[in-house]
Amino acid sequence: MARISPTRGQKLIFIIYILLGVGILYLDIISNNFQSVKNGFKSFKISSSYFLNQITIEQIKKLAERSKSKKFLIKENEMLKEALDLSYLNNYLISKENNFYKDHEIIKYAAQDKNYQSSYKIAQLRSFDPNTFNCCDRHRMFVEVISDNNEDFNEFMVFNASGIIGQIIHTNKYSEVLLLTDISHYTPIKSSTNDFFCNAQGSGRSEIIICTYNPSVEDQEIIAGHIFYTSGLGGIYPKDIEIGKVDKVIKIDSTTVELEIKLSANPVSNDLLGVIKY
Amino acid sequence: MRYLKIIFSLILINLLDKEIASITYPYFIIFPLTFLGYSFYVYKSNSNIGSSEAFFTGLFIDLISDSFLGLNAIFFCLITYFINIYANVFKLFSYLQICIFFGLSSSAYVGLSQMIINIWNFSYVTLFMSALFNIILCILIAILSAYLPYFTKPRL
Repeated sequence: MARISPTRGQKLIFIIYILLGVGILYLDIISNNFQSVKNGFKSFKISSSYFLNQITIEQIKKLAERSKSKKFLIKENEMLKEALDLSYLNNYLISKENNFYKDHEIIKYAAQDKNYQSSYKIAQLRSFDPNTFNCCDRHRMFVEVISDNNEDFNEFMVFNASGIIGQIIHTNKYSEVLLLTDISHYTPIKSSTNDFFCNAQGSGRSEIIICTYNPSVEDQEIIAGHIFYTSGLGGIYPKDIEIGKVDKVIKIDSTTVELEIKLSANPVSNDLLGVIKY
Repeated sequence: MRYLKIIFSLILINLLDKEIASITYPYFIIFPLTFLGYSFYVYKSNSNIGSSEAFFTGLFIDLISDSFLGLNAIFFCLITYFINIYANVFKLFSYLQICIFFGLSSSAYVGLSQMIINIWNFSYVTLFMSALFNIILCILIAILSAYLPYFTKPRL
């Protein structure tokens, strides 16, 4: 059966919808107007997939566990794994031998400082899209902060056992984490010698952030393998925590050099995360 | 009911799309299965698909795939518009020409969407590899459709 060609009116409606789409897209790119709608839907999606998982896959798993009479051992194993993950997080924050800190004695000063909060909150990774992480500029993840109070976790630092991974930018039932590699994220960093400071921008690639500087202004020459630390200037991350090593030094022109810094922390290395406000 | 069926199918295709993306992306290939699935539905439909149906379906895909709102809405409206206009002309085309049309439209989708969601790491290699892959795949599907019509006949 032949399809009727669209009339002029129908074509006009198509054009109106396309223009409406362009408007929505433009608004979404330049502002956060639709963030609440997206986060609400995301929360619904995570909750429903969690619920479906609980009533289907988990039930089947439990049935299998019962049939094998290993329930107790599995439970114990889960508890031990959780305790181990927690100890990794604790180690990251409080150990005097911590390798992440530039100054290993920093914990002594931190304890004397009244602003320092020794406690941190535990968060569970709830949603992370590895495809977007590997292909695109937006690097985000959703976590559930385990807390009895209805707190606002905006601007809280998020870390795992291998280091800092990002900051919370939106709190709902699930909190949205802006990862260091997101192109809209800037991390204030400094060199080990404390004489080179830079705002490293996320590259949109996994594990890489980019610091651009003018070599004619800086005295120090940065070479591959140089370790960078947080400078603490942004007010979100504490200073002197290892961020990563210079992977590549790219000379764009005589006045611009780009440093590709490979991050120490991998956001997907652990499901259990720490959330803290400095 | 028909619309719900389409939405449900697109949700499943979108899940499959995500799974395929993790396999193909290391080879610089993006295969927009959701977009091609929707295009196929519009192409095979007996009547013209309305602009509002295309727009809201696209908007829904934007929500579930966590991309910028309006991105798929625009592309879905555009592909519906072109297919509606050329629906009768397609009958004069050979399978090869139709395959090239869908392969190129999916490449245009990949290129334009990458310009919006991945502008900082835009890669021509990805674009050309995806175009080649999509055109070859469309031709393979057309060959399947020609030689195994029972299995590939749509039942929408």
